[in-house]
Amino acid sequence: MSRSYLFIPGDVPRMLQNLDVFDADSIIIDFEDSVAIDQKDEARLLTQAFLSKHHFKELDLYIRVNDVSQKTLFEADMQAIKALNIHGIVLPKVTLEALDSVDAFFDRENITFPIIGIIETPLAVLEAQTIAKHKRIQGLLLGAEDLTKDLGTTRTLDAEEILFARSQIVFAAKAYQKEAIDTPYVFVRDEAGLAVDAQRAARLGFTAKASIHPNHVETIHHYFSPSKEAIHEAKRIVAQSKKLNSMRFSLDGSMVDKPVIDRAKALLKRAEKYGVLS
Amino acid sequence: MKPIYYNLNDLFKTLTLFDGMGISFHHHLRNGDAITNLITTEFHHRNLKKLRLFPSAIFPSYHGILTLLKADQVDTITTNYLNGPVADYFAKHGKPNSLKMQTHGGRARAFIEGENKVDIAFVTAPTVDREGRASGAQGKSACGSLGYAIEDVHYASTVVLITDNLVDALDHYQIDGTTVDAILVVESLGDARGIVSGTTSITNDPVGVKIARNATNLIQELGLIKPGFSFQSGAGGISLRVTESIKTLLRDKNITASFFSGGITKYHVDMLEEGLVKTLYDVQCFDLDAIKSIDKNPQHKAISANDYANPNNPHRIIKDLDIVILGATEIDLDFNVNVTTDSYNTIIGGSGGHSDTATDAFVSFIVTPLMKARTPIIKERVNTITTLGKHIDCLITERGIAINPRRHDLLEQLKDSHLDIVSIETLMARAHHYTGSPQKTQPKKQPIGVVEDRDGTIIDTLYTKE
Repeated sequence: MSRSYLFIPGDVPRMLQNLDVFDADSIIIDFEDSVAIDQKDEARLLTQAFLSKHHFKELDLYIRVNDVSQKTLFEADMQAIKALNIHGIVLPKVTLEALDSVDAFFDRENITFPIIGIIETPLAVLEAQTIAKHKRIQGLLLGAEDLTKDLGTTRTLDAEEILFARSQIVFAAKAYQKEAIDTPYVFVRDEAGLAVDAQRAARLGFTAKASIHPNHVETIHHYFSPSKEAIHEAKRIVAQSKKLNSMRFSLDGSMVDKPVIDRAKALLKRAEKYGVLS
Repeated sequence: MKPIYYNLNDLFKTLTLFDGMGISFHHHLRNGDAITNLITTEFHHRNLKKLRLFPSAIFPSYHGILTLLKADQVDTITTNYLNGPVADYFAKHGKPNSLKMQTHGGRARAFIEGENKVDIAFVTAPTVDREGRASGAQGKSACGSLGYAIEDVHYASTVVLITDNLVDALDHYQIDGTTVDAILVVESLGDARGIVSGTTSITNDPVGVKIARNATNLIQELGLIKPGFSFQSGAGGISLRVTESIKTLLRDKNITASFFSGGITKYHVDMLEEGLVKTLYDVQCFDLDAIKSIDKNPQHKAISANDYANPNNPHRIIKDLDIVILGATEIDLDFNVNVTTDSYNTIIGGSGGHSDTATDAFVSFIVTPLMKARTPIIKERVNTITTLGKHIDCLITERGIAINPRRHDLLEQLKDSHLDIVSIETLMARAHHYTGSPQKTQPKKQPIGVVEDRDGTIIDTLYTKE
């Protein structure tokens, strides 16, 4: 599970070459919106050549392909990446219908990549629960820019316009133990706004936040890493469980049982993975 | 009262001119300077030969020097920094022993010790009074500090101030007038837009941001941010990002630095005004904020190159410097740094204060991307040594940090660090993993000059490119 998903364009050599220096937990190499139509082949060839030669043990790599309704582009993307050692694909404009098409294509081509679906249409928001339940889905990613365009509204820092979509995605994802990934904050230089936005998303229950600029990763990690207080509390719970050799006890007047202990252990595991345990 | 001239020809009638004479200029007006061109063009028209030129730096706009070179009127050029058409000319047509690259501190030393023998110093001065006192901080062509001109004024045989703002009397001045022989008043010293070219912005490039973050973390781990520490950074985007991070640290930890030195920018000025540093020692202003500050804030002090960095001056400011952040065009496995030439021998800069500050600072930090445009920065051997590796302590890149093995103390301090500290060979291998091993460059051609370290030692040779 990642805290950050950083989009980088697939046709920019300098960004590909440096994808492991940006400190993101996951990188999404983009073939879709950030790549002009006449650069799609370049993105595929460049990414294919780069990932065939370079491997990244500590980084989860995804590729955002073009949406399945653009059949030629989508299939060309998939042909280019199906043999690559990546963690999965990010599928834009996901809906149940789109997911069925991809599912059939994957079956035909014997492709097993997990899918992170971008929820960026009103229909997808309404279908989020069923999308999350799909066997190929690893997580849901909110695409707020396209969504608000379809809603006929504009993005604000308060983010009232996407509150329902955010909550829907969090509930759908959590109901099926999938990842809930918040939309990128698009004002690249507004670090204060990013902090507000990231904190709000973390409070709503998102497990991660996407970004479109590497400089956002540090702030995202700040809000999506286990807090010092949470780590301290988890350590106490696990230690007390060990000490009493029990999965059910009282700590500071609160009841602790197996789900709480398991959650504490999972939190400590994540903290260790992110290097924030001590 | 000093003799005042309003016409170049009238001034030149009074000067003793001869073949082989030495003339000097400073570069505080940078690319906006019209006076270096005015004077060198006059020397060209008067067909003076075998001139020895001592500009503190040469910028792309200095076409008058190029004219003298093309007309074969120049014997030698001694400077601290060189780029643009004059540099290109040297790379293609430079004559043997025609170029000496000094450091800022080394230039001051060489003036004082008589190695740089200058017959006439032409000193562009934004405001001058009738007693020959001068300030860089006022006037329509204000440039702030005149730090690099002070030794010219004190040690040249004849000193001419050139100004576009003559006043009756100056209360605050950087040149006291005692050694000034004449004043030339002109309509304009140059193009203000080129004089105040503006500070480079703090980098937002994600690789630069990563390097700056690594640098800040390293500086913190070394415990260098403490009350009364001193700091110098260049005006490059990464250096300024480190400066900005240090500003935040000072605020958070309620620490006040003792001084910042060198070229001063608005970022340094902001920290002075916020009380995060006690004094700015300014040898060169980089932007309008710095110029305004030096004019009004007594804790923003203009200093000479001698007081800044002359290695034989026991009171030089940088001998008390704790931290210096510097760049590199190339660095080699012995930590030698090149900021003078590219891989093809084209001169693209020079030491300026690089070697001076790296030598004196308690810890010198090089901040640079490991690869620039898919070219690795670490070489087995740099093309030209600007600063000797024994003076470089830490190399900080986006893909790791290397500490000079000479600094056992730093390595000991960092032995339990979580930072990605590796050998410089490992860093080079990391770059080659992406770029492959570069081919060897072509054999060097005609030698044209030397790189002189601040103490007068010749540390490398400069060559033509073809």
